Amino acid sequence: MSNYDVINSNAPRVDTPAKAKGKAIFIDDMSMPDMLFGALLQSPIAHGKILNIDISAAKKLKGVKAVVTAKEAGLIPYGVSPARYDENVFCHDNVRYIGDEIAAVAAVDLETAIAAASLIKVDYQELPALLTIDDAMAEGAPVLHKKYPRNICAQVNQEFGNFEAGLKESDIIKTTTFKSKRQDAAFLEPQGCIANFDKLTENLTLYSSTQVPHYVQRILSMVLKLPIGKVRVIKPYLGAGFGIKAGTNTMEIVSCLLSMKTGKPVKMNYSREQVFMFGRARHQFVHTMTTGVKKDGTLMALKNECYLDGGAYTSFGIATVYYSGSLLGGPYKLPNMKYDGYRIYTNKPACGAQRGHGGVIARACWEQQLDMIAEELGMDPIELRLKNMMVTGDITCNDFNMSSLGMKECIEAVKDGSEWNKKKGKLPKGKGIGMACGFFVSGAGYPIYRSDTYHSTAVIKLTEDGGTALLYTASSEIGQGSDTTMAMIAAETLGIPLSDIRIESGDTDFGVDLGAYSSRQTLMTGHAVYDAAAHVKQQILEVLAEELNISADEIDIKKGIIIFKKSQPDFSKLRERYIKEHRGWTDNPSADDPLTFKEASRIAFLAKGIISANGKYKPHQLGGKFKGAAVGTSPAYGCSAQIVELTVDEQTGQITIDNMIDAHDCGFAINRVSVEGQMEGSLSMGLGEAMFEEVKFDSKGKIINADLAEYKIPTALDMPPVKAIIVESSEPNGPFGAKEVGEGAIMPTIPAILNAVYDAAGVRIFELPLTPERVYQAILDYKNKKAS
Amino acid sequence: MLLPKFNFYEPKTQGEALSIMNEYGLKAKLIAGGTDLLANMKRKLLSPDALVGISEIEEFKNLEISDKTIKIGSCFTVSAIAESAVIEKKISALAVGARALGTPLIRNLATIGGNLGSARPAADIPPSLIAYNAKAVLKSVSGERTVLLDKFFKGPGFTEIQPNEILTEIIIDIPDGYYGAGYINLGIRKAQDCNIVNVASFVSLDEPNGVINSARIVMGCVGPTHLRANAAENILIGNKPSEKLFQEAAKIAESECKPIDDFRASAVYKKAMIRVLTKRTLDIAVKEASLK
Repeated sequence: MSNYDVINSNAPRVDTPAKAKGKAIFIDDMSMPDMLFGALLQSPIAHGKILNIDISAAKKLKGVKAVVTAKEAGLIPYGVSPARYDENVFCHDNVRYIGDEIAAVAAVDLETAIAAASLIKVDYQELPALLTIDDAMAEGAPVLHKKYPRNICAQVNQEFGNFEAGLKESDIIKTTTFKSKRQDAAFLEPQGCIANFDKLTENLTLYSSTQVPHYVQRILSMVLKLPIGKVRVIKPYLGAGFGIKAGTNTMEIVSCLLSMKTGKPVKMNYSREQVFMFGRARHQFVHTMTTGVKKDGTLMALKNECYLDGGAYTSFGIATVYYSGSLLGGPYKLPNMKYDGYRIYTNKPACGAQRGHGGVIARACWEQQLDMIAEELGMDPIELRLKNMMVTGDITCNDFNMSSLGMKECIEAVKDGSEWNKKKGKLPKGKGIGMACGFFVSGAGYPIYRSDTYHSTAVIKLTEDGGTALLYTASSEIGQGSDTTMAMIAAETLGIPLSDIRIESGDTDFGVDLGAYSSRQTLMTGHAVYDAAAHVKQQILEVLAEELNISADEIDIKKGIIIFKKSQPDFSKLRERYIKEHRGWTDNPSADDPLTFKEASRIAFLAKGIISANGKYKPHQLGGKFKGAAVGTSPAYGCSAQIVELTVDEQTGQITIDNMIDAHDCGFAINRVSVEGQMEGSLSMGLGEAMFEEVKFDSKGKIINADLAEYKIPTALDMPPVKAIIVESSEPNGPFGAKEVGEGAIMPTIPAILNAVYDAAGVRIFELPLTPERVYQAILDYKNKKAS
Repeated sequence: MLLPKFNFYEPKTQGEALSIMNEYGLKAKLIAGGTDLLANMKRKLLSPDALVGISEIEEFKNLEISDKTIKIGSCFTVSAIAESAVIEKKISALAVGARALGTPLIRNLATIGGNLGSARPAADIPPSLIAYNAKAVLKSVSGERTVLLDKFFKGPGFTEIQPNEILTEIIIDIPDGYYGAGYINLGIRKAQDCNIVNVASFVSLDEPNGVINSARIVMGCVGPTHLRANAAENILIGNKPSEKLFQEAAKIAESECKPIDDFRASAVYKKAMIRVLTKRTLDIAVKEASLK
């Protein structure tokens, strides 16, 4: 049993009552007096030159309050990473995808705004639409962005160790190519925002469905030329984000611009179709990998070549193209690794970061290949993995420090939990079992912009009666449970019950927090919260020590009670003072009660005024001096192993996932139920990508399945029973030993399914998704090949 | 996506509804659950001047059961079909189709009349109804007529219903003797899916383990409307069910369907699946018939 009172338990989430009762306020629920509605004019063609924009008819429509184009918005480039600021608020020269923003309208209601946007006349000279990587890289193809010839948005060439030398020492060499499809994260809540600019004070407030209030604040400040201090970004409750809401979207800037023009609040929302058109979810990846191993199964070398279909802009893509190489550095001991990655611009919506950023398809390709190698070696796939597995303290060839790594424990947990030994190779025809491993960062080691900034700050202050601790953090609760996690860390550190913490989060006025991306908040915000809470506690202990004339070291706080480690001093005078302060109150302590946190806090207030403290965190110096080392280095790495059991209907190609078991090393579970929730959610998302999901385009570059009927995420009926096993390796760099779970748990899902399909049907499939037709065709080809 | 503007009528009686339709004709659309219609209106594929809501009309929501027939009102919901014990017992393949449609939320709103009237070649309700030889009752101010569902569909989105008519009722004559039917739909995922292929098969036997005296095989998603596999049906009649016979029938059905390539699947795959599902639905039908 743990010695903790609050953390490491199954705590009900602090936001559950509001959400269960429908009281939680999302952007769509919000409105303000005099609020206007904004609508965008988006390009109907995938690629073209803008010859003329005529807004006169739109301006004349009754109810229209402002029409803006690039002329009003200016041409300050922005994006996600300063290394690739390649977006403007509105197109001024070319349009680059169907949905590229050209103009916007603010009007008294949404109907009028949409009608006005449709009255804006744009003349185009159409250009060839480059819809595939091959189109975009072809000799003589038009260039989307002048600075990037051949439409190569980003190129990475890295070698750690010596791949060729490693290959020479190998006995088995295997090469495979693997292709995935563009994803949509299909979060429930489409992006939306309300901007409110006060013309008198020149203060701008943006309420937005974002994962990263801090980054949005910086971009708004930069593009709209406002001082950071005049820009406040507030995130209400969020219907998830999965990475897509981790950059600034066009509406966030446009609504502010429209509010600055009109002096009125302006609300904008994406429709579901616009969510697809804006994109920014997982890229399509094509990986070709060559792996060399010795006869005994020792991994010697990996060459990984990857092409990413990036879409029209970079978004997170510069990080993505690094991650799709760097995240294969672990969790296996791999002495030689070569990576060549190319992110290509195409005339489609930009791709960006999605759960498991950049690493998911690389992992799927490689973990399937490892199973093929195991088969050739006559080795159990689990044995091959265990043989090469890193342990705590190992450092990868690309300088990732595995400061904790419970990978072996994860593998053993799923092996035992699934009865692997009884099943592998022994299941009836049509049934299969497969496994895979994966790992992921616990927060990016560096902010997206180069800076010495703290990654997280937190403020805790106590109410003057001592009864409640107020926690202020700019971190983002997006549905993942971070508010509960932070409140639990504060409660545990202060030594008070969770119910005595009130958390406010997601507001740039509360401090600096880089936000919810790269699985960073538990570790980073968690540290800042711990820091703040520890300082608040210390102040109370110091006041108490002085009042009681004992040493602060002799006092502790637990479950809201003051603990005297040695003998109990006479605190009756303190209690008398406290009761005098609260004369007539009904909840005063009686003489025999132990001294409480509440009493001590009031006494501390009387001595010092409001008791508050600032907590802060930034990572220590991390490894890697090479170009691109910033992508993948992290204070800690989470890891997981999964086993999937499934049935293949060989006549139809339909796959039924029967069972999934996942073990994840999260270092230490602050809230166990949230950790399990993240594991289950990751598996569901991975299952969808493996089996169903693909954003499809017509020959003109228009998405043909921009809705949740035709873009198929798993339904409840597609999800099998999931067994989630928490492994705790105690991470030295994490608060209470905690590290990530939000993204890493998706890593093994796709390859575990692929490996189980092989076990069930004897076919290796190298393209996603595993639609019935693709599986059927693979089985047919396999049978024909066998027959001939 | 916003709905276009329209007038809304909500008649309380059948007579009132019929006279509104008589007045508006093509300019009006009937709405019951709206699960298909409203989505198409938001996409601006349809923008009728008026919507006529008929789900408050009690007689359209009836389920009437006698020894010989089952009559289902056109506004009877899909979830009510899925949960009806009588339907499950007498015409089980319809219940299977109902359970395959959409999600619980959609099924609570969607109606049998809407699923027929929208005339989607991939719809879940029509194949089994056609297999049971069901009929549709169409009414107008000037009278009523009954149309076999097999002759009801004219193309994607088009049916026998005239602009002034309302589909009020579906009639299924309960077959005599030893009969059974099977319905299978195949999609990408297990629910809320647009089918790639669906098949319903009906057989009746002259006695338990006897010869097949009638058969209907209905194939969805493989033509502009649901198709009958006539040649496959013909080789079944007069024969005793057997593995070999059903395989042969399935093979013929495959040759009778006319799918196209689309973004959901290739024509080649759809044809192959017609064969698999025909065989499997025949197996279900005969199993059920033998248990009667």
